[in-house]
Amino acid sequence: MKRKFAAAAGIAIVATLSLAACSGGSGDTPAAEESSGPVTLTLSGWSLETTPEFQTLADAFHEKNPDVTVELKEYDPANYNTLVTADLAAGVGPDIITQKEVKYVTTFQEGGQLLDVSDVKLPDGISGTSSYEVDGTSYGVPYRQDSWVLFYNKALFDQAGVDYPDGSWTWDDYDKAAAALTEGLSGAGSAAKGTYQHRWQSTVQGFANAQSKDGDILKGDYGYLKPYYERVLALQDAGYQVDFNTSSANQLTYQGEFGKQNAAMMPMGTWYVATLIAQQASGDADTFDWGIAPIPQLDEKTTGTDKTPVTFGDPTGFSINAGIDKAKVGAAKKFLEFAAGEDAAKALAAIGITPALLNDAVVETYFGVKGAPSDDLSKFAFSTHETRPENPTSSKTAAIQGILGDLHTAVMSGSDNIDNAIKTAEDRVKNEVGLD
Amino acid sequence: MTSLVADDVAAASPPPASPRRRRSRLRLRSTLIGWSFILPNFLGFALLTLVPVVTLFYMSFTNWNVFGKADWIGLANFQRLLGDGSFRISVLNTLYYSVMHIPLTIVVSLGLALLLNNKLRGIAFFRTAAFFPYITSIVAIAVVWNLLFSPDYGPINQILRFIGFENPPGWLTSSEWAMPAVVIVSTWRDMGYYMILFLAGLQTVPRELHEAARVDGANVFQRFFNVTLPCLRPTMFFVTVMLTINSFKIFDLILVMTNGGPGQSTLVLSQFIYKKGFEESQFGYASAAAVALFLLCIVVTIVQFFWNKRRSY
Repeated sequence: MKRKFAAAAGIAIVATLSLAACSGGSGDTPAAEESSGPVTLTLSGWSLETTPEFQTLADAFHEKNPDVTVELKEYDPANYNTLVTADLAAGVGPDIITQKEVKYVTTFQEGGQLLDVSDVKLPDGISGTSSYEVDGTSYGVPYRQDSWVLFYNKALFDQAGVDYPDGSWTWDDYDKAAAALTEGLSGAGSAAKGTYQHRWQSTVQGFANAQSKDGDILKGDYGYLKPYYERVLALQDAGYQVDFNTSSANQLTYQGEFGKQNAAMMPMGTWYVATLIAQQASGDADTFDWGIAPIPQLDEKTTGTDKTPVTFGDPTGFSINAGIDKAKVGAAKKFLEFAAGEDAAKALAAIGITPALLNDAVVETYFGVKGAPSDDLSKFAFSTHETRPENPTSSKTAAIQGILGDLHTAVMSGSDNIDNAIKTAEDRVKNEVGLD
Repeated sequence: MTSLVADDVAAASPPPASPRRRRSRLRLRSTLIGWSFILPNFLGFALLTLVPVVTLFYMSFTNWNVFGKADWIGLANFQRLLGDGSFRISVLNTLYYSVMHIPLTIVVSLGLALLLNNKLRGIAFFRTAAFFPYITSIVAIAVVWNLLFSPDYGPINQILRFIGFENPPGWLTSSEWAMPAVVIVSTWRDMGYYMILFLAGLQTVPRELHEAARVDGANVFQRFFNVTLPCLRPTMFFVTVMLTINSFKIFDLILVMTNGGPGQSTLVLSQFIYKKGFEESQFGYASAAAVALFLLCIVVTIVQFFWNKRRSY
């Protein structure tokens, strides 16, 4: 009798649990809203606490358009694209998709996830629009365009007795400065090195791709990488910068290396300006005078403050989810137009973000932030440059960058020589990706 | 004792209406009760493992890129795999890793189990200490061992230089020594788990056999090879099969320690699958590679089963 009851109860519990599990899965689908009346747009962002740009744009847009609220959806930054992909595939993606990396734009676009936004009006002089164009149609709007510049520590330069960069450097000048700085600093009793190069492949390949005559990763010929790698390996061997293996083993952070004055120079993206200002204010970084200079150039053709230095960088932009409620499309396009415009650019510059639109007013706002460098060269380096895309917009980019990343680790760690590594990369691209 | 009680109970219960009907109803009830206990776990397994695996087999014949339709392309993915240099490298690396990892782990964990198979006071502490690496966070393990293996500043190379090696290996920075370094860490991590399994197996070795062997004059080694090992065969078989499958599937340690580098010297099959799927969004192709991994595991396991069957007398 007791066993019968226990068995029946067991089966009943199991049945209830199974049914509960089945029914709980469906997500909440919001009812379609009318075009008039308040509209809520969801926007994907990451690290919301330390990345205030999304909230800044959402608030600024809401002020201008009180009947549209932009709600932020937070994603983990390291796996951002995978998580957004999962949400889009499940049909619960955000209305406005932030394109964190250009190399995923084609994945979204080929999967039919992005709305055509060619009719969104963009201001003149905005940079980065080509990264969102596929076959002549625009699928995204840039709001931020970082580029790579040379950060330098004025205090360490003084201590070593080396002249500051003056905007006319080539890579040879940079090498000489790194050598002079390391020797001068060690003579003055400091353990700091001349320069710090972070472990990313972009710290070498980005410049090679942008500045070399035939620097196009989609072509499949990588001989143009050789001089850049030889230069960097020489700096490493001579001890003018921390070597790649030590940097990997100790997991050095670029913010730490420059911020704690372990290196006098560092090529890095302009996003670091905001971080450095914030860290100097909070005490995480040392207090010292610093500035930014144009990145060293390949040759004299583009050096000097009367010319336009060539560097690389990728934009960050917004796209619209193709599955968005039809009634919200108007509001979403309005947001994209706003984000690319001057008001948004000034709001972003005030918090240290490099907007895609860099006119005089925006540059003044950027350098008006407390803690920002105030010299003319910094303003020049920030506002005047030809920024070539780090990642060309193509469906082959992700695979090719993976192959070139393997080349980078093989060469920088010293486990393969540059000629072999280039040949391996070229063969792999032919074999695995295919060139048309 | 219990059998007497059962007889009394059987005698005391009323005579069954019809023996066969009573028995089948009883069996039906037992089956239902059994199923109701298995069902939650099986539902979870079916939803989270069985259905995705079956879908995987289907996906490997398509060109799905996570959005949009999956178009059937037949064996094209598999043909592409055969010609893919990176796939070949990842298979070779996986085999290289397994061939080093499996014997080393068996020897180390069996050795530990033999050492710790005593009833000394405090033996539990040593057993726990040996098991501890298995439950430690993998990221913490990677960070610490990265520092230990640092070629210029790490303690391991400093000790090697101290005892006379002038050119200690580059470990994780060298394409020849990266995989051995990963194997060392992996063995250190797994030895506790397999030690527990061997300890359990050692409990089943009858003491009388050891006594008899000692009486016959066998020394420690002869007792080990002629008494312990044969009795440990079922455990050894289980450990070998589990270790082989887990070695083929190795992923997390490689990802956090070397990420496949330097170059492609530690790229393993699971990582190849991950890269193709999640970094390049080629899920159909990645599924085909996953099917290849599945085939590798199952073929080797079947071989091991047959070998074990033939050897048991």
